[in-house]
Amino acid sequence: NRMKRAKTRHKPCSLKELEVTISELGLGYDSDETVLFRYCSGTCDSAVRNYDISLKNVRSMRKIRKEKVRARPCCRPLSYDDDVSFLDAGNRYYTVNEVSAKECGCV
Amino acid sequence: VWAGPSPPAALDLQGWQTSVDCARANELCAAEPGCSSSYRTLRQCLAGRDHNTMLGNRECRAALEVLQGSALYGCRCKRKMKKELLCLQIYWSIHLGLAGGEEFYEASPYEPITSPLSDVFRLASIVSGTDPVANSRSNHCLDAAKACNLNDNCKRLRSAYISTCNKGVSATEHCSRRKCHKALRHFFDRVPSEYTHRLLFCSCKSQACAERRRQAIVPYCSYEEKEKPNCLALRSQCRAEPLCRSRLADFHTNCQAFHQFLTSCSRDNYQACLGSYTGLIGLDMTPNYVDASFSSLVVSPWCSCRGSGNMEEECEKFLKDFTENPCLRNAIQAFGNGTGLTFS
Repeated sequence: NRMKRAKTRHKPCSLKELEVTISELGLGYDSDETVLFRYCSGTCDSAVRNYDISLKNVRSMRKIRKEKVRARPCCRPLSYDDDVSFLDAGNRYYTVNEVSAKECGCV
Repeated sequence: VWAGPSPPAALDLQGWQTSVDCARANELCAAEPGCSSSYRTLRQCLAGRDHNTMLGNRECRAALEVLQGSALYGCRCKRKMKKELLCLQIYWSIHLGLAGGEEFYEASPYEPITSPLSDVFRLASIVSGTDPVANSRSNHCLDAAKACNLNDNCKRLRSAYISTCNKGVSATEHCSRRKCHKALRHFFDRVPSEYTHRLLFCSCKSQACAERRRQAIVPYCSYEEKEKPNCLALRSQCRAEPLCRSRLADFHTNCQAFHQFLTSCSRDNYQACLGSYTGLIGLDMTPNYVDASFSSLVVSPWCSCRGSGNMEEECEKFLKDFTENPCLRNAIQAFGNGTGLTFS
C-alpha cells in the first residue's frame, strides 16, 4: 500500500504552462487572443518544516479547534509574469497584470 | 581611399560589398588631424546655412574636398546597430554637404539587404499552408498575435507598447504620442521580423481580421491626429530628424516601384521593402492601413495633399508611393499569402 502511494505521488512544486484564450481566464474580458498561462503545480513534501509538524500535533490534541489553520506548505507563485496586453472583441486594448506565474515555491 | 594605420578588420572579413560604418569612420577620421579639423569645419559650415551658401565659402569647399578622400566618404550605417543614431547623424552631415538634400528621392544611408528570399517568407509559407476548410474561417492576424504571445520577448515588448500607447495622460491628452512612438520603435527594433511582420502584414478574409491588422500599431495614439497635415510639410518635418530622414530614404530605396521588374520592386526584394516600411513606424512618417477593408489594401502616412498650392503634383507623387505603390502592395500580399515570390 505504501509502495503504491509512493508510485502515484505527484511531482514536486514547479511551473507548468498551458495555452488558453483571454476569455477562458474568466477575468471578464472577451478576446480570442491566446496567451501562455503559467501556473504552479506539485507537492511540497520536502518543504515541511518543524512548524508544520508542530502545528499538526497541537491541532490533533484539539488545542486548536475553531481557527482555520494549514499545517502543510503550499505550492504558490513567488513572482508573477510581466503584464499582458491584448485586443478584445470590441477592438479595445487592455493590459492586465499578475495573471501568470513566473516562479513557484513552497510557502 | 583613406590611408590609415591599418584597415578595419570588418572590411577584410566581409569582403568588398561592406563599407565602413560612419561611426567607425568618424573614429578613424578623429585619429587624423587633417581629417578631424576638416570635419569640424564642415559641421560649422552646415550649421544654419543652405547648401549653396555653404559651397560659396572657400574654406567649406576645401573641407568637403578633404573629407571626400576620407573613410567618411561612402560610409554607411547598419540597421539596428549599436550607435545607429550617431552613425546616421554623421552620414547626413557629410551627405547634406555633398548633395544639398532637397531631392525627391534620397539615397538610403543603410547598407543594402542582399538576400531576396529570406527565412521569413519560408516561415510564413509554412504557417499559412493549412487546409482550405480551416483557412476560410481562420484569422491570420489572430494567429500572429498568438505566435507573439507565446514568445516571451515578443509578448513583453508588445505589451509594453500597447500599455504605453493606451495609457491616458490627462483630460486633454489621451496618450503620450512621443512615448508611444518610442515603445513602438523599441518593439520593431528588438523583436525578430518573423513575429513583427506577421502582425503587420497578415492576410485577411474578414473585416474583424483587417480591423485587428489596422489596430496593430494602436493607431489612435501612434497614427491619427486631430489635424491631417500636408504631406510635403510632414516630409520636411521628417527630414529635419536624422532617423526619420534615413528611414524614409530607405523606404524610397527599397519600395520604389519599377515596372520592368517582375515583382514591381526596384531590387526584386520584397523583404527589403517590408523591412523599410516597418522602419517608419514610430516616427513622424508612421504609415498604417487607412481602413479595415480586407479586399483593398491601402496604406498611407497621416497626411493629405490639401493645401499644396503649386506643389500639388509633387505632393501626389509622394503620397502615391504609399497609397498606390505596386511594389509595396505586392510585397504585403506575397507575405500574407506565404508565397514569397510568385510570377504569375
